[in-house]
Amino acid sequence: MTSARNIPCGRARGAVEDGMDKQIDRREFLRLVGVGAGAAVLAACAPQGGGPAAASASAAGSAQPLTLPIVNAPLSLSYWAPMSSNVIASMKSFAEIGCYKELEKRTGIHINFQHPPLNAELEQFNLVIASGKYPDIIEYNWLQSAPGGPARYVKDGVVIRLNQLIDQYAPNLKKVLADHPDWRKQIVTDEGDIYAFPFIRGDIRLAVSAGMALRRDWLDKLSLSTPSTLDDWQTVLRTFKDKHPNGNSKADELPLSTWAAVAGSGTGARGAFSRYSFIGAYGIGMDWFQDKGAMQYGPLQPAFREFLVKMTQWYKEGLIDPDVFATTQATFDAKMTNNQIGAASMLGGNGIGKYAGLMAGKGSFKLVAAPNPTLKAGEKPLLGARDNAYPGQGAAAITSANKNVIETVKMLDYGYSPEGALLYNFGIEGQSYTMVNGQPTYTELVMRDPKLPSAQAISRYARGNFNGPFVQDVRYVQQYYELPEQKDALTAWTQPTNEKLLPPITVTQDESKRFASLMADINTRYDEVFNRVWSGKAGIDEWDGFVKGLSGMGISEALKIQQSALDRYAKRPG
Amino acid sequence: MVALQRAWRRESPGERLFTIGNVALMVALIAVTLYPLLFVLFASLSDPALLSQHRGLLMAPLDLTFEAYHRVFQNPMILTGYRNTLFYVVAGTALNLVMTTLGAYALSRRELRLKNPIMFFIVFTMFFSGGLIPTFLLVGQTLHMQDTPWALIVPGAIQTINLIIMRTAFAAVPASLEEAAKLDGANDWTILLRIYVPLSLPVIAVMVLFYGVAHWNAFFSALVYLRDRELYPLQLVLREILISNNIEGMTTDVASGDKFALGETIKFATIIVATVPILFVYPYLQRHFVKGVLIGAIKE
Amino acid sequence: MRVIATDGLPLTAPLRSRPSLGRWAVLARDLRRNKHVYLMLLPVVLYYLIFHYGPMWGALIAFQDFNPVRGILGSPWVGLQNFTDFFSSIYFARLLINTLAMNVLDLLFGFPAPILLALLLNEILWGPFRRLVQTVTYLPHFISIVVVVGMLFDFFSRDGLVNQLVASSDPISFMQSPDWFRQLFVASGIWQQLGWGSIVFLAAMANVDPQLYDAAKVDGASRFQLMRHVTLPGIMTVIMVLLVLRLGMMMTVGYEKIILMYNPLTYETADVVSTYVYRRGILQADFSFSAAVGLFNSVINFGLLVGANRLSRRFTGTGLW
Repeated sequence: MTSARNIPCGRARGAVEDGMDKQIDRREFLRLVGVGAGAAVLAACAPQGGGPAAASASAAGSAQPLTLPIVNAPLSLSYWAPMSSNVIASMKSFAEIGCYKELEKRTGIHINFQHPPLNAELEQFNLVIASGKYPDIIEYNWLQSAPGGPARYVKDGVVIRLNQLIDQYAPNLKKVLADHPDWRKQIVTDEGDIYAFPFIRGDIRLAVSAGMALRRDWLDKLSLSTPSTLDDWQTVLRTFKDKHPNGNSKADELPLSTWAAVAGSGTGARGAFSRYSFIGAYGIGMDWFQDKGAMQYGPLQPAFREFLVKMTQWYKEGLIDPDVFATTQATFDAKMTNNQIGAASMLGGNGIGKYAGLMAGKGSFKLVAAPNPTLKAGEKPLLGARDNAYPGQGAAAITSANKNVIETVKMLDYGYSPEGALLYNFGIEGQSYTMVNGQPTYTELVMRDPKLPSAQAISRYARGNFNGPFVQDVRYVQQYYELPEQKDALTAWTQPTNEKLLPPITVTQDESKRFASLMADINTRYDEVFNRVWSGKAGIDEWDGFVKGLSGMGISEALKIQQSALDRYAKRPG
Repeated sequence: MVALQRAWRRESPGERLFTIGNVALMVALIAVTLYPLLFVLFASLSDPALLSQHRGLLMAPLDLTFEAYHRVFQNPMILTGYRNTLFYVVAGTALNLVMTTLGAYALSRRELRLKNPIMFFIVFTMFFSGGLIPTFLLVGQTLHMQDTPWALIVPGAIQTINLIIMRTAFAAVPASLEEAAKLDGANDWTILLRIYVPLSLPVIAVMVLFYGVAHWNAFFSALVYLRDRELYPLQLVLREILISNNIEGMTTDVASGDKFALGETIKFATIIVATVPILFVYPYLQRHFVKGVLIGAIKE
Repeated sequence: MRVIATDGLPLTAPLRSRPSLGRWAVLARDLRRNKHVYLMLLPVVLYYLIFHYGPMWGALIAFQDFNPVRGILGSPWVGLQNFTDFFSSIYFARLLINTLAMNVLDLLFGFPAPILLALLLNEILWGPFRRLVQTVTYLPHFISIVVVVGMLFDFFSRDGLVNQLVASSDPISFMQSPDWFRQLFVASGIWQQLGWGSIVFLAAMANVDPQLYDAAKVDGASRFQLMRHVTLPGIMTVIMVLLVLRLGMMMTVGYEKIILMYNPLTYETADVVSTYVYRRGILQADFSFSAAVGLFNSVINFGLLVGANRLSRRFTGTGLW
């Protein structure tokens, strides 16, 4: 197990050369911006603020335009990627997906996929790394699931630094990053290294998958409108409790409830209530957030106390399901389908969609998505649940074992070209999608498969509905969310301005050990006290005691660590 | 039956009370321990929507449907899974039995000087181990067992606790038998095979059960060492079917629909599919838990 | 079990004055005399050497800041830092107490339960019924823990079966109460493992010489006396051995079941060493930390085992070694 690897194209990363890279980048950018006709704006992008729109002029760049096929002699690459639950339902490996079969035809490169068993990715990843025998490409959530953070793997020579290569051989990705410097900022390490071909959510509507939802039929029955302020919510919940809208003779309504994959993690401080459902109204988050570049920790804010007092009051009044702390998905489903729950934080697909399906034809059950509440009417909610544009998963890195780096770069770059984007997002034209009025539209073959849910049927041809090294196209989700409730959810849940959301910062390796050590205890105490106060087992003074005790537990050190990570992020080139 | 009636008549009132109480207790125990399996069985045959609404005891399938089983068996890997697991169970248990029996016999020899040090040496490994990565490197790389069925059979050749149990059983065999055999000129191999093994059938049956079930349920080694899906044991296949139909934890993957509730009933169906074959094995082994296997041995 | 006093020589050896032999010579003689036995031991010892001692160097990562890319040789050494990190947690004492408490409770109730079942089953004279009980009681062992815990949540919720049966005016939410956690944990464990655990004792009972029973019956022994004086001593070795091993696991509580069952309201009694380490690992897969905690646990466990073994030898004459 040595760290010395023969890094093709790798050079000592001295400061001078970094500077040179940056210069070339800018010159390149200007030239590329000129490549007009071929480089049409990718369909997926709704501009996310920042970055000038690409002006058209034509010129040749020193980045070679992508030509197909990429190779003429047969070439095989090994590609390690986590399996998707969508795919495994009907196929054994990504090689069977329509888009990859087509990709091989177009590029001439054959891909040998290796998949670890489902949900065992982290262990398998560690084993692959420890073995020293790397496949050519490793697709993984480098940002969040690679122990130690992505920078370490570049430094230790596991994956190669891509900046130069993208510059020269990946015009499509280069253009995408040039058009969206904020995306670029998210995908690099603090030192500015690009370590993988990223998966990007091309539109904010793709980045939101959860939020608040209520029983629309109950609201209608009681002549209430969808609540928007916190006071509205209180009124609605109280009315749910007092007026028994579920029509049975028992007062068993649970105005507000929640669930989590594992009991307690939903109500633990960072659980379902942390989809900023109510705390966002106070303009703060459950744990780490930033305010104009300054790192903040939720519990330290005075507004948090107000939030907790309010939640405690709601619990006491019976507006919140008393068993909410010990509710698993199964019990939550039961309460939902037994018409007990009035409102909850849930997913758009595996929440709104699922319950609509389960309760179809059974009474008046209807859900409506609600925007995150605000304190005062007319305000925009400040914080909501939202992924960053670069969520981390599906990023394809090229390892140091790869002997055909340039061809690999070109192949991965294809995914960011207009044709490649269509291929990855929608699949095969004529089979899984057709162009209707210039818009790619999924066909009946995938949307109405007799055996498979549309999620799995689409994945027989495309990757747009889970992740991968390409930019995700919003038109996929617009068709995917078939129910009107779900489409409305997209609008309702993208309301929050989210200025205070944390970008994908990375902590250095030494810091992260210290940080984990501090937060292990802090988080345990936080969860415990928060739940005890909220459920009435302890008074608000126990919370005050916790907040006071935070300094003794090292919160200022943790804050400093996070702040320096945030500062480094701000300084990232892009 | 007659023997039972005779026994009943012979008992004192206290003993009769005990018998009645005992039987009652057993019946209650059956009810309480049978319920989980019945629950799983009924749930697997129920309509998912009705099942999700249901609270409390489940006494019958809700709106009988075989949909969950269809989904499980339509997966092309199921037969491969069964076939592989059968191989692992047979080959694995055979190796286990040989190794454990040899070790148990050897360590039960009273006069063996190195007996205690070796026992210590072995028990030590129950407490201290190198962890996943070093073991993986050894088995997978140094020994080149990665992606072969041997990775699932050889590293687990002996379960120390089973070795200890078997050794304890061998140690209980009367020494007089061994002495008598030695007088007749038998060596240790003969003693082991002709005397100890036949006398210890109950324990051997237990070993077959313990090791067999362990192989049957095993999935972790497969998770770690197998990349070739064709070698996947049943549990791994079922686990994937389960996960792929159960999108519970997914927060960022957007998904639609009504077909997802099926995930719950599929979970139960996979348990039944995995468990039922084992249930047929136990009655066969039970035959050996019979008193009086020592008859005929005590001829000194 | 009959204890036969020997001095290590088979009884068939002719008695003669034994000169004092050096230790190696004794060993050599032993090897010669029992060469078949040692031959039998060879594959066993080799197995342990290769597959258990071979990778044991991995335990060293407890003293490092392990980086899987650089491996053991390339990762920096940090001495006892991982250990002090663990010891200095404000929850250290609570975690230890919870772990031990859970195990003590399980030892008191969960260990004897299968033995009792085996003894009671032995008293069922009608074969078919006895076999039926045996078969059914071991079924829950095969139900996955996720399903078992799911049932717990359903039965013990505020409006669940148990509260309905008790029908009090103030239903208890068991799963949210730290006062009930340990009991639920142990009781559900007994429910699941009772039958399976009794198998080994039933087999041990089958090995008891029936002549002993006959002899005792001739002396007029009642059922209870038979149980006390024939059956129980007959399986005592197995019981002691398993007890010693169980005592060697007092620091171990698997995290899987607790993670499924607990929530922050029950941390007080539910949070054990393994769950704490698990939660910490979510923030950063810290191999060294979990290796250090694991090593700490193992050392204590092993110490308990050695102690238990010694006591067992002193009081009952049998033990692991």
